[in-house]
Amino acid sequence: MSIATTPATPVTVDVRDPLPRLTALFDAGTLQLVAHDDDSGVVTARGDIGGTPAIAYCSDARKMGGAMGTDGCAHIVSAIDTAVAERIPVVGIWHSGGARLPEGVVALHAVGQVFAAMVRASGRVPQISVVLGPAAGGAAYGPALTDIVIMSATGRIFVTGPEVVKSVTGEHSDMESLGGPDVHGRKSGVAHVTTKDDATALATARDLTSLLGRQGHVQPADAVDEGDLGELLPDQPNRAYNVKPLVKRLLDSGDDVESPVELHAKWAANIVTVLGRFAGRTIGVIANNPLRLGGCLNSESAEKAARFVRMCDALGVPLVVLVDVPGYLPGLGQEWDGVVRRGAKLLHAFAESVVPRVTLVTRKSYGGAYIAMNSRALGATAVFAWPDAQLAVMGASAAVNVLYRKQLAAAPEEEREALRQTFIAKQEAEAGGVGLASEIGVVDEVIDPKQTRHRLAVALAAAPAARGAHGNIPL
Amino acid sequence: MAEEIRAEMVANVWKIVAKPGDEVSDADPIVILESMKMEIPVHSEDGGVVAELHVTEGQVVQEGDLIATVE
Repeated sequence: MSIATTPATPVTVDVRDPLPRLTALFDAGTLQLVAHDDDSGVVTARGDIGGTPAIAYCSDARKMGGAMGTDGCAHIVSAIDTAVAERIPVVGIWHSGGARLPEGVVALHAVGQVFAAMVRASGRVPQISVVLGPAAGGAAYGPALTDIVIMSATGRIFVTGPEVVKSVTGEHSDMESLGGPDVHGRKSGVAHVTTKDDATALATARDLTSLLGRQGHVQPADAVDEGDLGELLPDQPNRAYNVKPLVKRLLDSGDDVESPVELHAKWAANIVTVLGRFAGRTIGVIANNPLRLGGCLNSESAEKAARFVRMCDALGVPLVVLVDVPGYLPGLGQEWDGVVRRGAKLLHAFAESVVPRVTLVTRKSYGGAYIAMNSRALGATAVFAWPDAQLAVMGASAAVNVLYRKQLAAAPEEEREALRQTFIAKQEAEAGGVGLASEIGVVDEVIDPKQTRHRLAVALAAAPAARGAHGNIPL
Repeated sequence: MAEEIRAEMVANVWKIVAKPGDEVSDADPIVILESMKMEIPVHSEDGGVVAELHVTEGQVVQEGDLIATVE
């Protein structure tokens, strides 16, 4: 016997309606609309997100495609200025074709005022953007000026649309191939997070608002070590591995904890940047990922990490830096791509930052990349190493080929390899491992991997809270 | 849609681990490259079935070269 099912009453929901979007962003029952019920194309609201007060503005794409005019821009500026006055996070939900054409330069001036408000707020309160539809022209630079850009599958960000591109350059594209989530998540680095749908995009914005708006305090007693984090490294020292499971295990987990959010997961993937909770407090984790490009630093990854460090510093988020880096990526492409200029950003960002920042060398740290990864010289709060870590200008075998080149060349061929091995052993004993680094104080302590969480938590808790007095320029 | 797995950097193909027809997860190495004195496993991003291998052991791959296709 079959039971006839009554089809649900079809309800036509306009996905562009700001109300359901804002309702999904705020905690149930806390949403209060502020500016609404006009033709400005912008709705603003306040309420709680994860129990912390926050403000939001949202394009209303049902009105002139969400295009930005004088009134709508004034609403956004007011929302941002209020967030700064109350020191609470501000979230922008974007679905807008850019400036309102009929208003002409008046609209451009208004959009410029939004940009100026964002820069005034930069580094003072967390600013998060969620792009759910097209964000074109002026609406593209709005999200780009904020701290974090989340794009759903239907998000599109571009300065000039496919038609204009075609007429000027002859290139054929559609909105997705021009500025879809795959482009900005993987190629350009414009988007920090890309999600499969709008609901996930808004849920991620909730996690980030809660992490940045209610940071908490490090409670070392809560940093229990379960198992041996060292077991996550491969047995062979020269085998690459994915560092993400290590980052995940380092951070708090549980039903009452926000999911950690990885930023720029697919762009410059050789370095991993994650916001998450650790021992009860929000921290930023930066980790080399040996699985990608061997974990080398390069121009893009240095720039990505530098921006992350500066954001965390401006918003008062302490840092944990997990180091396993063979050096900078060699190559013509890198040099021409400005690895010197862009790599310098990471040195500058770490040296400038005043938040507590603790480094752990898990396996190796070589050369210029050793310095860049929050070394003692750049002002690390504490530097720890696991017992088998190696810190040096380069690996022992590579160093021997340089240091003993003449002696090796002069040796009879049949003895050369044995001699090389002798030199390598000597080099490892004198300049490898953590011995020399501990001796001169650039590593504070070699720690047991089984106590990693606890030792990092104690070091972070002991450091005075501080926050960098600067904005977060989108490097 | 087929996933094209390309080399991210200049490397030697040190070992081929999977063969066409093998099902691989996002954590199973398909080939292992050797570069920067490290053995670097290459994975599919989302997993799938290896459709074709475009490299042989000992071959040098340049950045952007196709290594494998996974469906």
